[in-house]
Amino acid sequence: MNRDTMTETSLPVQVLGKFLKWLVLSLYLVITIFPIVWLALSAFKTNFEIETAPFSFPAVWQFQNFVSAISVSGLHQYFLNSIIVAVFATLVNLLVTSLASFTIAREEFPFRKVFFTVTTAGVLIPIIAFMVPYYTLITRFNLYDSLLALIVTYSAINIPISMFLISSFMTSIPRELEDSAEIDGCSFFQRYAKIIMPLARPGLVTAGTFSFIYCWNEFIYALLLTSSRSARTVQLAIRFFTSQFRTDYAGMYAAIVLTMIPTVVVYVFLHDKIISGLTAGAVKG
Amino acid sequence: MKKLTKKTNRNLKWIIIFLIPVTVLLIAFFVYPIVYLAFLGFMEWDGISAMSFVGISNYTRTFGDSVFQTSIKNNLIWALSAAFLQIPLALVIALILAREPRGWRFLRTVYFLPNVISLVALAMLWRAMYNPEFGAVNFFLSQLGLEHMTRNWLGELDTALPAVIFSYQVYIGYFMVIILAGTMSIPKTFYEAAMIDGANILQQERYITLPAIRGIIVTAGTLAVAFALRQFETTFLMTAGGPANRTPVMGLYMYRRMAGLRYGQAAATGVLLILLGVVVLSGMQRIFGKSDAIEDAHQ
Amino acid sequence: MRTRKLLSLLLSCLLIASVMPIFGAGAREADPEIVLTWPCIWVGQDSKADMIEKIVNEFNEEHAGEIRVIIEPQPDYDGYEDTIRTRLAAGQAPDIFTFKLSPTTAAYYSGDLLMDFTDDLTQDGWGYTFNQGNINASTIDGETKSLPYEIGFTPIWYNTELFAKAGIDEFPRTMDEFWVAADKLKAIGVVPTSQMTGGTNSWTSMLWFTHLLGSFGGPEVWERAWDDPAYEQAAAILKRLYSDGNTTRDAIGADAGVSGGHYQAGRTAMFINGAWYIGNIRENSPEAYAATKLAPLPQAGDYYGHQVGWLHTNLGAANTDDPARREAVITFLKHLTDPENAKRVSLDAGSLLSIEFDLGPEDEIDPLQQQFIDAGNQAEFLIDHLEASMPVDVVYEFGQAIGAMVLEDRSPAEFVQMLEAVHD
Repeated sequence: MNRDTMTETSLPVQVLGKFLKWLVLSLYLVITIFPIVWLALSAFKTNFEIETAPFSFPAVWQFQNFVSAISVSGLHQYFLNSIIVAVFATLVNLLVTSLASFTIAREEFPFRKVFFTVTTAGVLIPIIAFMVPYYTLITRFNLYDSLLALIVTYSAINIPISMFLISSFMTSIPRELEDSAEIDGCSFFQRYAKIIMPLARPGLVTAGTFSFIYCWNEFIYALLLTSSRSARTVQLAIRFFTSQFRTDYAGMYAAIVLTMIPTVVVYVFLHDKIISGLTAGAVKG
Repeated sequence: MKKLTKKTNRNLKWIIIFLIPVTVLLIAFFVYPIVYLAFLGFMEWDGISAMSFVGISNYTRTFGDSVFQTSIKNNLIWALSAAFLQIPLALVIALILAREPRGWRFLRTVYFLPNVISLVALAMLWRAMYNPEFGAVNFFLSQLGLEHMTRNWLGELDTALPAVIFSYQVYIGYFMVIILAGTMSIPKTFYEAAMIDGANILQQERYITLPAIRGIIVTAGTLAVAFALRQFETTFLMTAGGPANRTPVMGLYMYRRMAGLRYGQAAATGVLLILLGVVVLSGMQRIFGKSDAIEDAHQ
Repeated sequence: MRTRKLLSLLLSCLLIASVMPIFGAGAREADPEIVLTWPCIWVGQDSKADMIEKIVNEFNEEHAGEIRVIIEPQPDYDGYEDTIRTRLAAGQAPDIFTFKLSPTTAAYYSGDLLMDFTDDLTQDGWGYTFNQGNINASTIDGETKSLPYEIGFTPIWYNTELFAKAGIDEFPRTMDEFWVAADKLKAIGVVPTSQMTGGTNSWTSMLWFTHLLGSFGGPEVWERAWDDPAYEQAAAILKRLYSDGNTTRDAIGADAGVSGGHYQAGRTAMFINGAWYIGNIRENSPEAYAATKLAPLPQAGDYYGHQVGWLHTNLGAANTDDPARREAVITFLKHLTDPENAKRVSLDAGSLLSIEFDLGPEDEIDPLQQQFIDAGNQAEFLIDHLEASMPVDVVYEFGQAIGAMVLEDRSPAEFVQMLEAVHD
């Protein structure tokens, strides 16, 4: 059932409302689709065209940009690493923060406020401030140059944002649901796993999407904490086009376009499936 | 309250188990580095030689720097713009999409896509857009006969900061997704009841949707403001703080001190950034109420 | 059902946790071979990448079973500098690395993180294979803790075709002639110079300023304080270069891609950059490449015929107590800085190095690079780039000070004051 259908507003107001709605939607569509189109077109241009006429169409479509994107940087070798890092860092992050958010949103215990203080501070600081402590930490634990170093670091870096999101969604779930479950003899763990987690799914999906995109695009810690091909991610491959004195924009854009595909796929399929599954599901009735 | 305490005792074992992982990671990746920053803020250190204790001189020095003062001002402008322009835009779009107009799935995906592109590419695009020699912004203006409005957007004193902020905050994907997810979880029956009572769309949004997602909006706002306060990559890539020191932000100021091997001052800046953020966020809570996440902690 | 999902999640996490150590930095102790890692910026599309890799491979073959040098690719120069700085601050210098030696990074010499080459350079005449001025520049308080490697050399580039079109036969010899030429260029719709205040160091404009400083202050100008009149005089000319259409409208805020792009597209007639730009322009804009000639700056002050030339990359190594390891590092660095290998790098990449070597008639050389070599030989004296002579804070402030001078109409004296204020 579309919510629009049953309103009693007068016709001119409805028409005006519709017009405004579609004006906003189409204007914003232009603003958001523009970078994608621009990036995709630029990936087919020469460096000279990009530097001197960035908004023209390519004079000759430079398909070899994509060939050199792969051959110069060895992009394909890094895809698997990026996927492993982003998937596992996101899973670990969601597991850890959902456990914590559930406890914090639903229970009283000493030092509860400390978690808010730390996560608030954590979400405020540019994470680049922690380069020296993180490098020290990772090398002390002998994790330098491993995928695990990135998984642990990324899952930790995303804790504050995920905590904010997930606990926010968990708090908005009516308490009565849990209370009745508890009367039915549900344990603490069952309440988490059976009642709250399914209902907090929009929060989990949102936090997971953010985490995945962060892990996929992160550059400076990937550079700092890894050194060999076996532990590096696609962002380092993209930077192979920016050397000390020159940037090969054509190659870089082609590489960016190629590396964007997995994140877009993850977003479109995963996010869309889960959210729309939810819309069709029980909650909305 | 009494019931809660009893319950807590019974669940204490579970609470501890559930909190161990997050505690370990928070201590290693946030508490330890923040304590380290707080400590380093009182030291003079070039990263190589021995540290020396200098009291609060890193702080006085930072506050005395006019570039830092501009950075605080700019950070506040960033934060205000996040709270009063970016979030309302995200809210409007999310509310429209939540009513599932034609093609809303497609729109939702496209609206989010710029957030998937790396900041480097977005900055390159917007630098090209704003360029006065071959940029698209001036081109459109002159096509519309507004030749007198064309300018060097990133290279003029009064336009550079708004131009940088716009290029970052116009992409609301993250916040749209948060608000949309919140809106989608409102039971549809609420609306059906309202429609029977004859409420129009605006009334429905005003009396059903907004109260139901107030906490989610504040969460989105908190994150938007936090991102606005800590961002420095976009500023670094777009203007590097120029022209004439008009666009620096605290994060960039801190990064610059690190590059200048003034680790003590960089740490002091980091601490000040956290403090400013706490002040801004609690000011926001005063005005808008608490986000669901923070609410309970303060009761 | 939910529990099963959750369980599989937990299980998979456990699974990676158990598998992961495989990816960890494995034990190296048992290996008799000495492994040296080199986080190296010369990778990917850098012009030196291929030859450096070749030279390292040859070294590894020659010393198979004893020493192995591993190149850790470090793309992105800003990220690379962040990484080196962080690793040093964490007390863990990379085995071999490169850095820009400046008054800021001179701090790397304090403490004992870096290997001291002072004694090694005196043995077997190793030190004499380097340019002695560069060795002196790399020696602080009698200690040479890094080796000079690459030199920046940046004459003025000008487009002879555009000059001819504007009716200018020769590159101007004095500043007065320069302004006349600029007007002639503007008359045919060509912008005289490429300028920029963007990026981290306002690259092209900083080079113009350094050229001007050399003309006003001579070779020892950097040793004199900010109140030396040369600084203000150079700033005054820089200000004029930014006014009256002498540069492009986007110069304030432009980055290196934009300012170089204008020259390549024939929109501007003059530009400054190093030999590393040759490959770029030859590939992108054959017309501009063929029309380019190099010149010294027109005489602005008392001095003429100088060039901006400075040491911009030094090789450093981690200090070690293990004599065998130390020996391995020295062996590799001797191999890398061997005049024959230096020549290969230089000819292959178009770079100028601190290591002196002889060119034979059989060595093929790009015509524009030949011009660079000639310009170097003809230079009356060399002046260090501002970037190498001043702390990082001054380098950053430079572009801001230009913005203030041009947009807020500050005087050249105030420009100098802004730089002095951040210099301590």
